[in-house]
Amino acid sequence: MSDAPAVAVADLRVRLDGTLILGGVDLTVARGEWVTIIGPNGAGKSTALRAIGGLLPFEGVVELDGTPVERLHRRDRAKTVATVLQSPVVPPAMRVFDYALLGRTPYIPPLGRESAADLAAVADVLAALDLARFAGRRLDTLSGGERQRVFLARALAQGARTLLLDEPTSALDIGHQQEVLELVDHLRAERDLTVLTTMHDLSTAGEYADRMVLLAAGRVAAAGSPREVLTEAHLAAHYRVRVRVIDGERGPLVVPVRG
Amino acid sequence: MKRVFIAAAAAAALLFTGGCAGGDENSTGPRPSASAAYPVTVGPVTLTQRPERIVSLTPTATEMLFAIGAGSQVTAVDDQSDYPPEAPKSELSGFTPSAEAIAAKNPDLVVLSNDIDKISSQLEKLKIPVFLTPAATTMQDTYREIGELGALTGHQDEATALHERMAADIDKIVKAVPQRGAPLTYYYELSPDLYSATSKTFIGSIFAMFGMTNVADPADAAGTHGGYPQLSQEALIKANPDTIFLADSDCCQQSVQTVTARKGWNTVTAVKSGQIFPLNDDIASRWGPRTVELVQSVADAVVKVPA
Amino acid sequence: MRPAGLRPVWLAGGVLTVLVALLAGLAFGSVSLPPVGVAAELLNLVPGVRLHSGLTEREVAILTQLRLPRVVLGLLVGGMLALAGAAYQGVFRNPLADPQLLGVAAGAGLGVTAVIALRGNAAGGDATAGLPFGVPVAAFAGALIALTLTWLLGAAGGRDRSPATLILAGVAVSAFLGAAQTFLMQRNVDTLREVYSWLLGRLATAGWHDVLMIVPYAAVTSAIVLAQRRELDVLTVGDDEATSLGLHPQRSRYLLIIAASLATAAAVSVSGLIGFVGIIIPHTIRLLGGPSYRSILPLSVLFGGAFLALADLLARTTGGQAEIPIGVVTAFFGAPFFIVVLRTSRSVAP
Repeated sequence: MSDAPAVAVADLRVRLDGTLILGGVDLTVARGEWVTIIGPNGAGKSTALRAIGGLLPFEGVVELDGTPVERLHRRDRAKTVATVLQSPVVPPAMRVFDYALLGRTPYIPPLGRESAADLAAVADVLAALDLARFAGRRLDTLSGGERQRVFLARALAQGARTLLLDEPTSALDIGHQQEVLELVDHLRAERDLTVLTTMHDLSTAGEYADRMVLLAAGRVAAAGSPREVLTEAHLAAHYRVRVRVIDGERGPLVVPVRG
Repeated sequence: MKRVFIAAAAAAALLFTGGCAGGDENSTGPRPSASAAYPVTVGPVTLTQRPERIVSLTPTATEMLFAIGAGSQVTAVDDQSDYPPEAPKSELSGFTPSAEAIAAKNPDLVVLSNDIDKISSQLEKLKIPVFLTPAATTMQDTYREIGELGALTGHQDEATALHERMAADIDKIVKAVPQRGAPLTYYYELSPDLYSATSKTFIGSIFAMFGMTNVADPADAAGTHGGYPQLSQEALIKANPDTIFLADSDCCQQSVQTVTARKGWNTVTAVKSGQIFPLNDDIASRWGPRTVELVQSVADAVVKVPA
Repeated sequence: MRPAGLRPVWLAGGVLTVLVALLAGLAFGSVSLPPVGVAAELLNLVPGVRLHSGLTEREVAILTQLRLPRVVLGLLVGGMLALAGAAYQGVFRNPLADPQLLGVAAGAGLGVTAVIALRGNAAGGDATAGLPFGVPVAAFAGALIALTLTWLLGAAGGRDRSPATLILAGVAVSAFLGAAQTFLMQRNVDTLREVYSWLLGRLATAGWHDVLMIVPYAAVTSAIVLAQRRELDVLTVGDDEATSLGLHPQRSRYLLIIAASLATAAAVSVSGLIGFVGIIIPHTIRLLGGPSYRSILPLSVLFGGAFLALADLLARTTGGQAEIPIGVVTAFFGAPFFIVVLRTSRSVAP
């Protein structure tokens, strides 16, 4: 099934406490693509991502590499798609190496221990993310940017070909934001990954995505290339903001302007 | 609270008796055999020879042992056994007993009134005979215990003599008190937070000899408090006892003055007429030979109350 | 780079400490026994060995019938309490978590009080009626009932049994059962001393009966908890992450709670309420040996057992010729030690 899309979502509906958060979302991510979901607060971006990652009950169709996600055993799902959530719990005393090693959990049998292959995979991932020298450091001694790389390391260690990233840059300063996004793009090319992220910061989102989906009030309001989605009209309608969209070399840039 | 603990421990066995007044509690039982032959069996305990290294962990048994002439056979008593003064007091505890510490005294008989923390089975594992003698609820229990200790220690004759002497003394004391038209009521105080003992307890049976009525009885009519209810101040004042007996004068510093000073108590007959009688805490919490002194104290008090 | 886990050095240290506690517990007591004689008698326990130890029959009985079962009981109970505490801390991600949180202690206490009160009130009941005979069963039953109540309450109103909800439910159940226990104690004053003695904890035991009673519980619950050590490590980074890594956090959590609570109920039914072990031991190990449950859990069993056995040694030798309740000893020595450890290490969260 090598030409099946990495992620195929049809009529995705999610209810929480009786309220309909997502009311029928369609979404496809081809293998190797980077798709970014944008939308105002409360639109349901994170909910959509979590449903696709198998963290929430949902109605509708979610297929990963052509297989419906409910037919995948948990461990297999973990080997297929890796999720990095917003603000993960950081146990302060855990070392970088051990945190990244958590990514190998789906490969370790229930009463077994990590194998040499697991340890090698972690070492490889840490090297790729320039974290090798931090391997023995406690998580609470790292900066925000370094920690974000550690979360990514854990996700990569899972060996999954699809990455779901929920707001990967929201806690970072402008320099680290760019650093992380460049890193993800670089890894995507190097390891043939598929990336689905949510972003609420629009300024540079258009430079990194192959396609975008604009969610508003639990439904898809617009979908297509960044140039098609990031228009002044769309943004004014859904974000109620006045913006100037500038055509950059790598994609549209969004700049809010005063009236 | 120690008062309550000691009294409560003393009442661990709750046998309901008729609680009646009268003289048949003071009559002597069948005369035990005069021969001090061994082996002797009392309940589950069998001794093949006379015990010479007795350890007593209950002050009442200590008093009894010395009163029947077995004092020279006692090698150690617990830290609460303060009578008679020549009793070999040690640091052994009857409330938090240590099997090893007891064993270190190398006893050939241990006397207990509370089987706390399975101490008796621990001692049995060490092949140390244990005589468990729970607190008495009537004078009959006391006499029986004296007889049993007499049999175990080879002092049956002295035990019988003690029994007869106590019974006769008590009889004499009670008869010397003139009969009353209406029974006197009494409140027996175990602790300043108004814990009392009903007529169904050992101490209650003493007062019953004088035909007195216990104001705490209604508070434990069903026996759910085991004979030791805590009274409410209002109920007590309403009951208006003629006499008040204090068993907390030593432990909790209660006296005629402190009781009289209690708010709202000045309307109570006992307080108004000064009929408040402190008792010796120790004697009142034990059920041994000195119970005769207790009966005497009550008699002295009753006589002071005008007819 | 080696992954976090149980270092052989620590394991050896744990086993060594247990042996030291065992030997010290056997060698010392109110009665002083010659060490050579003790060693000889211990060797005599091995079938086929017949050495002359020079101890009297009574001394041998003290050693094999009083001290040996008592020390073994201390090792077992201490190990179970520490393991249960560590499991709870991992499940609830809270350094103060302890099975007492979910009402286990309150339920056991109520069971004990009820059975002592009932026995005392029965017409003809007397103190000689095999004293704590029904107590272990009642404590165990009470603990399980309390746990069930907490469970049901935690799911009432359609809420999921999240850690926070369970803790709140546990607090409510503990308060309610504690009040019931106090009420019973007040109405049956003669139960006070016995219940109080149970509340403070004691390991005094005659023979192997109590030990044999909890060995099956110790074995089963330890196996269940230890088997989940890796899951516990993953749980520290959150339920969502654990799910996305292919685990079943809710199921692991329930299993751990049930096993840990069973272990505590069994320990408590035999030895009364002994506090501090379940909190101090795992936390100290975490501070000294790192945050991985793959080392915290097994080391908690070993060091928890040794700690309690040594505390019991103090309880029965420093009180003059009386016994100090063991709960007092664990608090007295445990708390300051913990403060020292806390001050000399950086802070960690489970």
